[in-house]
Amino acid sequence: MYILGNLSIYFALILSVYAFIVFVLGIKRQDQRLIDSGRGATLAVFILASVSMLLMFIMLGTSQFQFQYVYQYTSSDLPLLYKLSALWAGNAGSLLLWTFFLTMYSAMVAYSFKMKRNPLTPYIVAIMTLNTIFFYLILGFVTKPFVLLDGVPLEGRGLNPMLQDPGMILHPVTIYLGYVGLVVPFAFAIASLILKNMDSFWIKMTRRWTIIAWLFLTLGNVIGGYWAYTELGWGGYWAWDPVENASFMPWLTVTAYLHSVMIQERKNMLKIWNLSLIILSYALTLFGTFLVRSGVLTSVHAFGETNLGAYFLIFMAFMVIFSMYILMSRYHLIKKDTGQFESFFSKESSFLVNNLILVGGTFAVFWGTIFPLVSEAVRGTKVTVGIPFFNTVMSPILLALLFVMAICPLIAWQRSSMKNIRDNFLIPAIISLVIAGLLVVMGIRDAYPVISFGIIAFMVLTHIVEFIRGTKARRKVTQESVPVALYRLLIRSRRRYGGYIVHLGIAIMAFGIVGANFDIERLETLSVGESVILGDYTITYEGLSQRSEGVNDIVFANMKVEKNGKQLGYMQPERMFYLNWEEPSTNVAVRSTLSEDLYIVLSAWESDQRATFKFKINPLVKWIWIGTYVLIIGAVFAIWKGRYGNVVPRYSGPQRKVH
Amino acid sequence: MSKNTKVILAGCAIFLSIIILLVTATPASSGSEISLLEARVNADQYKDRYLTTEGFLQPGSVDWNPDKVELRFTIEDDENNQLQVFHHGVKPDNFSDDVIVIVHGYLKDGLFEAERVQTRCPSVYEGEDPDDYDEEFHRNLLRENKDEE
Repeated sequence: MYILGNLSIYFALILSVYAFIVFVLGIKRQDQRLIDSGRGATLAVFILASVSMLLMFIMLGTSQFQFQYVYQYTSSDLPLLYKLSALWAGNAGSLLLWTFFLTMYSAMVAYSFKMKRNPLTPYIVAIMTLNTIFFYLILGFVTKPFVLLDGVPLEGRGLNPMLQDPGMILHPVTIYLGYVGLVVPFAFAIASLILKNMDSFWIKMTRRWTIIAWLFLTLGNVIGGYWAYTELGWGGYWAWDPVENASFMPWLTVTAYLHSVMIQERKNMLKIWNLSLIILSYALTLFGTFLVRSGVLTSVHAFGETNLGAYFLIFMAFMVIFSMYILMSRYHLIKKDTGQFESFFSKESSFLVNNLILVGGTFAVFWGTIFPLVSEAVRGTKVTVGIPFFNTVMSPILLALLFVMAICPLIAWQRSSMKNIRDNFLIPAIISLVIAGLLVVMGIRDAYPVISFGIIAFMVLTHIVEFIRGTKARRKVTQESVPVALYRLLIRSRRRYGGYIVHLGIAIMAFGIVGANFDIERLETLSVGESVILGDYTITYEGLSQRSEGVNDIVFANMKVEKNGKQLGYMQPERMFYLNWEEPSTNVAVRSTLSEDLYIVLSAWESDQRATFKFKINPLVKWIWIGTYVLIIGAVFAIWKGRYGNVVPRYSGPQRKVH
Repeated sequence: MSKNTKVILAGCAIFLSIIILLVTATPASSGSEISLLEARVNADQYKDRYLTTEGFLQPGSVDWNPDKVELRFTIEDDENNQLQVFHHGVKPDNFSDDVIVIVHGYLKDGLFEAERVQTRCPSVYEGEDPDDYDEEFHRNLLRENKDEE
């Protein structure tokens, strides 16, 4: 197995180098046989990567501790699901997973039905293969997944308890799918630049890829937040940690990209902007990996200090310089037939504003993340910017974004008249002002939440107006009943209404995020029988108990919860003690309702059973997760293959003999 | 002025305001990482500044008052620079003698009022065997960190 595993890695490295060479040669000599050979090699690399993955899963699943990786990250008493998910617990395995996805995507593009006989394909696959080569170099020489130990240990070290959580099964996979997914539009963009194909073919072709990558990035971030919320026990879901920022930055730029490509498709504008955005997004995924793996910044998630990060930085620099060179050398061609803005108040300009805010936000996050490094280089002291910095800077930026989202759908393309604006905005604006006023009457005096809730309401209302307007217009023509008209309206322009549903999801999430700022926190030591009153809740501590789960022991507290005198049952915050791990881990007890979460952490206890708890009330947090579901529905709706508007974009760029 | 120029100007205005936001927010919400020596010698200079510092937990210095939820302890470095820390909260995980403790908070009259207390042990995330905990290695680690500053 050891031999087989290493063979699969090194053979794949050789084959991917071979694939790259024959693609380049085939393009140069215009020889279709070479291209076909490269295509075959791409498929073979994917099969080899699958073999590596399968071997790794078998090793982990059957606890073969003679392998270093299995020994380091698992133990025999671990549930099978966590044994398997330990594949992405360490560097070598998670890079293997990344490589696997990359080769899978390469093979999918190489054999894509829509890209058949398209001269772009060899270029695209060659660029993706360049990435594959890099990853296999790392897997083959830096972090090897298949390493044998000298002896066979009886037991492994076990998986870090923090990673024994359902979040572990989903979070890394979704993040990697998002990261890798961005390679596809990047490769398409660079390939069409090299071929001097200056229309929007590559954008239309990669629309689904990009939305799927974006969806996975979103999911990865939210699942990560949910995991932190339930597992780490500090009561929040987002801490502006460098690693979180690393996956948030590409999310922001891809969001910008998804909007600005619409302008290019319709108006043939912003070409350079779009190209730069996709290059930037791609570079940020590599930069993120550099941040996580290099240990240059203090972070709770970091994978330990290795020189792996440096390799990513070098590769990123190489890819960025390469793509900038291509972009610059084609600059005059891109410039040639670019459209012009026709009005100040148009959909184009509001999209541009949204883009600038998103990119500005990315820059702000970037600035905050690397500030300690910059200040250390410039002034010699490491100046850290913390959560307050990000909150001060990002709150107005994200609010401005929500505001633009509210206005955008109702502004017409090209030119909007004052009348059009009045018709669309008057009612939503008045209702939102009333809502904001009600909030003030209800006793919320801070400016931020009132403005935020007002803007969120405005945005939801303008989107609803858009749905109503479309249905009305359709009914006028077709005389259908309301549900039928609405349904047909939606499925006939999936992209547009899918996007609006995503917006509504974001609004719901924003509602939760603003609400979560009204949290109440109390730290209290209670004797058995004592109660604490928090908000409307009365929580009584009835004592500690112990139970075992497998080989691990769990100490938990029995907490009787009452709200306004009504019994709500028991909550049991836990501390789990592991056989193979020195430190216990926290299992938070959360009672989640639509209006608020009651959140209890068992922090410490004394010999006389007095125990110290952290109590929190986090209002509206559940809406963040609900909003995510809405967002998923919207995104899937937008890319679902329907009967309408499902045209394969036609390639009209330069032709070559090879494809 | 063409429409394009106008739009570009408006775009610049947005970008500029974000930059201004950044520049104004940075000093107010930033903190400094200092060494224990600096905390002892230049205490006045760092008054009202949000600070981060680290040191070894001094054996036997932990005073935990569960009823008030108050934690007091002392950290020290290799040159025996000591710092007393007060924290309204519970002990973090792995809070045992000679572990490296990172504290974030404010320095008031020689007492460090920590808002956050963390422990650092490289073994936590890379799955090292806790039995291998090597005091010498940790001391070197701290020394290296000092040298970098």
